[in-house]
Amino acid sequence: MTPAQLYCWHFMAYPHLPADFDEKYDTGWVTVPNHLWDAERSRGLYQEYIDQLAYADRLGFDGFVLNEHHQNIYGLAASPNIVAAALTQATKRGRIVVLGNLLPLHMNPMRVAEEYAMLDMMSGGRIVAGFAPGGGPETFNYDVPSARSREQFWESLDLIVRAWTEDGPFAHEGVHFPLRYVNPWPKPLQKPHPPVWVPGSRSPGTLIECAKRGYCYFLSSRSHGSATGRAKDQFTEIIEQHGKKYHPFRMGILLSVYVGENDNTARGECEEGVWYFLKNCLKGHLRTEGRQLTFGPGVPYIPTKAWRQYLETSKLGRKLLGDAENWEELESSNSIIVGGPDTVYERLRQLIDQTDVGNLLIQFHLGNMSDEISRGSMKRFAEQVAPRLREYSAKRFAERFPESEEEMAAAGVGA
Amino acid sequence: MSARLITAGGRKVGLVELGKGEPLLYLHGFADMHATRPGPFPFHETLAANRKLIAPAHPGCADSEEYPDLMTVEDAVFHYLDVFDALGLDKFDLVGHCVGGWIAAEIAVRHPERVKSLALIGAAGLFVPGALIGDVFMVAQPARGVEYADLRAMLFSSADHPLAQELFPDGRGGIDDEVRRYQMLRFGSFIGFKPPYFYHRALINRLHRINCPTLIITGEKDAMVPRAIANAYAGGIKGASLQVISGAGHAAHLEQPQAITDALSRLHR
Repeated sequence: MTPAQLYCWHFMAYPHLPADFDEKYDTGWVTVPNHLWDAERSRGLYQEYIDQLAYADRLGFDGFVLNEHHQNIYGLAASPNIVAAALTQATKRGRIVVLGNLLPLHMNPMRVAEEYAMLDMMSGGRIVAGFAPGGGPETFNYDVPSARSREQFWESLDLIVRAWTEDGPFAHEGVHFPLRYVNPWPKPLQKPHPPVWVPGSRSPGTLIECAKRGYCYFLSSRSHGSATGRAKDQFTEIIEQHGKKYHPFRMGILLSVYVGENDNTARGECEEGVWYFLKNCLKGHLRTEGRQLTFGPGVPYIPTKAWRQYLETSKLGRKLLGDAENWEELESSNSIIVGGPDTVYERLRQLIDQTDVGNLLIQFHLGNMSDEISRGSMKRFAEQVAPRLREYSAKRFAERFPESEEEMAAAGVGA
Repeated sequence: MSARLITAGGRKVGLVELGKGEPLLYLHGFADMHATRPGPFPFHETLAANRKLIAPAHPGCADSEEYPDLMTVEDAVFHYLDVFDALGLDKFDLVGHCVGGWIAAEIAVRHPERVKSLALIGAAGLFVPGALIGDVFMVAQPARGVEYADLRAMLFSSADHPLAQELFPDGRGGIDDEVRRYQMLRFGSFIGFKPPYFYHRALINRLHRINCPTLIITGEKDAMVPRAIANAYAGGIKGASLQVISGAGHAAHLEQPQAITDALSRLHR
């Protein structure tokens, strides 16, 4: 049976902020002044990050994850396809997951279809094609009308998959992207098309659309409590309503992990990077201080009914990940898992038990973490955590999802 | 006052009617009826003293059904043509605030024959270089998760204005009020971003088609729609006069209703 797939996610944070950034600036997103960008100190930064992912390939990770953000310090891969192109050359084995191209930001979805097809050919069929509608910040970066972004997203994605699977030229009679001659050269190597992953934060609309189309749903929440298990149960139910069965590779989750030498040293080794990430990178995104742009009335992309439900079921003042004031609070959010190899294994094993999610997308590099510290954590994970997790998850999945092997192969895992 | 639902173009539209007499169509903005309160403000009451004020809620706002095909301000104009038909409205006085003022101007340039008089209060809609309309979406994201001072400061002469505090309170207001404000932002998002930021580049070249008595009103301290936009409306519409409400912000009609209703009663004489 296919074991849990372990991916190394690199956000490519900007690491050179001044020490008083949090005092002086109210956000790390959209309007964070770009005079703070230090080109000279950042010389070689992308190379360092790409090399870390190439190292992950040599360590035997199942793949690498990149994502797209704009005008921010949290993630510098404004065009993740450019980084993915470098990875097609710098890596040999792992899948390259771009999670994802933000479709409403592209004038023409065919550009994305073409670039993914090129990457799939250049990587020998290692691309996982992720697609996302973009969140609050992107509304402001690219003037995407929030209320329209979901329908633009699904029209684009359906067009791209059709362009990959149906012979062209054909005409796309769409609302947002009408095109007379859809006929991409090249087409992807993987058949019928590269695996498609779509992130969401438990909104029923996204779960339903993913279930219908057989795509992998990636839960973009950074905190993993009971809500992660609920998301999986919700998705399972929706998949069954569409006549299919849930299996672990229909879903992915995002985690941040630091594996230290042992429980006693781990915290000290990673703490600077963790706080830089929480206080600076999450400011404007998952932190209440400043102005959070990710979700709220100013980015009204969820339908009015869903907004009412949100108001009825949520409490004002709920703490976000970046609001954690001390290490204990952070630990309890189950979002950043820090410890020696045994502790990290145990916590991830519990998470697999709770969720039966097969794709673990793990962030190792946090904020301004040094190359050496990041690599040490990745290496200990690959050598001392991953083998046990693989063995455990393969056994568990075989017991619980005995009939799903074929479907999993079709979903592009276990190759 | 009566509030009712009509069907226009197959869609449900909620509207408030006030007073008796010749019809006056009122199109609302952000700090306004339908977007903050279900019912009228003193400004609307006074406006209805010798007119029948008809105030529909924009698609998706208050009791009006969302209109999924609404993509641009053009679609909003055709939506209102359906509303006029449903109400049997032929000619009317037209008053609009903010986004409602923009839609009013778009209606007036296409159907000058239907508009007896036009009044625009803090109207968005025009592109004037260097005079961007404020980003209401950005300031609608609360600072520190709870503070709407920047939103209040954009819509009123001061973030501390009592009415601003009441209509856009910090923290979380009543759920119905929160939903009403959300609906207005969502409507704004449908037409406001594409073309961006509440303007339509072509509108300025069409203003000459308006041929009715026109009054352009702007708050002296309007922090959302710059004075240059009001000046451009006044300069582009034949015979239009411009009135600046001293000390008032974007929601001049809520802050100083008397000054504006006085001016409007001269227009509607």
